[in-house]
Amino acid sequence: MMVWGTIIAAYLFLAGLSAGAFLTSSYVARKYPEATIIRKVGRFISPVLMGVGLLLLIVDAEAGLKDPLRFIYLFTNFSSVMTIGTYFISFFMMAAAYIALMEFLKKDVNKIVEYIGIFFAGAVAIYTGFLIGVVQTVPLWNTAILPILFVVSGLSTGIAATMLVSAFIDKKMVHHVISVKKIHLSLLVAEVFLIFTMFLITSSTNVAAAESISMIVSGQYSMLFWVGLIGVGLVLPIVIEALELLSKKKFEHDPVGLQVAASGSHGIAATLITESAVLAGGFILRMLVLLAAVPISFF
Amino acid sequence: MARYGMFIDTKKCVGCYACRVTCQMQNELPVEISYIHFHEQETGIFPNVRNEIIPVQCQHCEDAPCETVCPTKATYTTEDGIVLMDEDKCIGCKYCVVACPYGARTQDHHTGVINKCRFCADLVAEGKQPSCVSTCISDARIFGDLDDPNSEVSKAIVKHNAQPLRPDLGKSKIYYAR
Repeated sequence: MMVWGTIIAAYLFLAGLSAGAFLTSSYVARKYPEATIIRKVGRFISPVLMGVGLLLLIVDAEAGLKDPLRFIYLFTNFSSVMTIGTYFISFFMMAAAYIALMEFLKKDVNKIVEYIGIFFAGAVAIYTGFLIGVVQTVPLWNTAILPILFVVSGLSTGIAATMLVSAFIDKKMVHHVISVKKIHLSLLVAEVFLIFTMFLITSSTNVAAAESISMIVSGQYSMLFWVGLIGVGLVLPIVIEALELLSKKKFEHDPVGLQVAASGSHGIAATLITESAVLAGGFILRMLVLLAAVPISFF
Repeated sequence: MARYGMFIDTKKCVGCYACRVTCQMQNELPVEISYIHFHEQETGIFPNVRNEIIPVQCQHCEDAPCETVCPTKATYTTEDGIVLMDEDKCIGCKYCVVACPYGARTQDHHTGVINKCRFCADLVAEGKQPSCVSTCISDARIFGDLDDPNSEVSKAIVKHNAQPLRPDLGKSKIYYAR
């Protein structure tokens, strides 16, 4: 039943995360020019994690691994989503690697390249959903909402990874970028809604789809789903993020409070827990989608 | 140019697996890999029930989903409508395995290359029958040109009103009498 397993789940996760981290850094670069650490972290981890994802993909493609020149053919079939994705990833990697290099050399980033990077980051994030979404054989995947879910989750994990690494380097800044936190909270809430919608509608399309959904919500993967994805990956970070934002609002009313908030004395643990939980949830989501892939019956 | 297809009479199939074994010999496959799978299911309502045995292999779809998704064009269709694999182009990404509705594709554990039933294209080119057809002990299989109304396969399909497994999924070219 599982043709694509953990390696591909990790790849889908890392591709979305990498695109999300890139977009996070581009957003922070404009909205908070002073938050240099967050911008740099996003720009550095993005091409590195995409590279790790690609390595996983190469390892999983056994015949190509044994004869690497064959990977050239990946660019040839334009009717395959995988070929389209190969182009997206190639352009994205070139832009992301260039921007990371410029950041490393402390040089100015070419704006055009950054816009190209932003476009292809979005393309990579949504392609991971298209890749499995076009597979008619698996009704759980063959739904229009899946690519949207993957984009939302990709952005969310991208923000989480960027914030997590940044928190170790500059914990004040992590608490300074309020609008990133607000976007993150909205994405997490949207993800809950998207998962609910996808499962509700998909479970009613046919027998195989219903079987997939019941495997996830009440069957063999229900613990992973309810505890891992819903509990740890979504509800926990939603609660912590919401409480943090609420308390910030209170602090903002007086200047001393603002300083306390900015000093981050209360917050690094919360950040670490929240962002790690989001990352775990993002991986579990990809894993569940692959694990519960029940093919249609051909009788 | 022919449009090769197959007719399988599940009422004649006794489930002896001879076609699978000869296919494994023909394609030099290890025991754990086969291009033909057997599916058994009970049909009808008690007491009028029948144990139906359905041999399933690559259906050589005209709009093959495996060919559409294959990023390297390793999967292609010949002029005679046989879906084949160019083993030197396959990277083993398994997208075709995922996309095939019939579970007809398997991976070679040594090379990582994906393969499947080839309708014994080399034998057919020599004017012979695919090995599963010539070996079938109950004549449950007929191979031939679907475009030729006088071919044995076309006549059998008409006579038994044979249908593809899932005509709604695409234009597959193995017709089953059930």
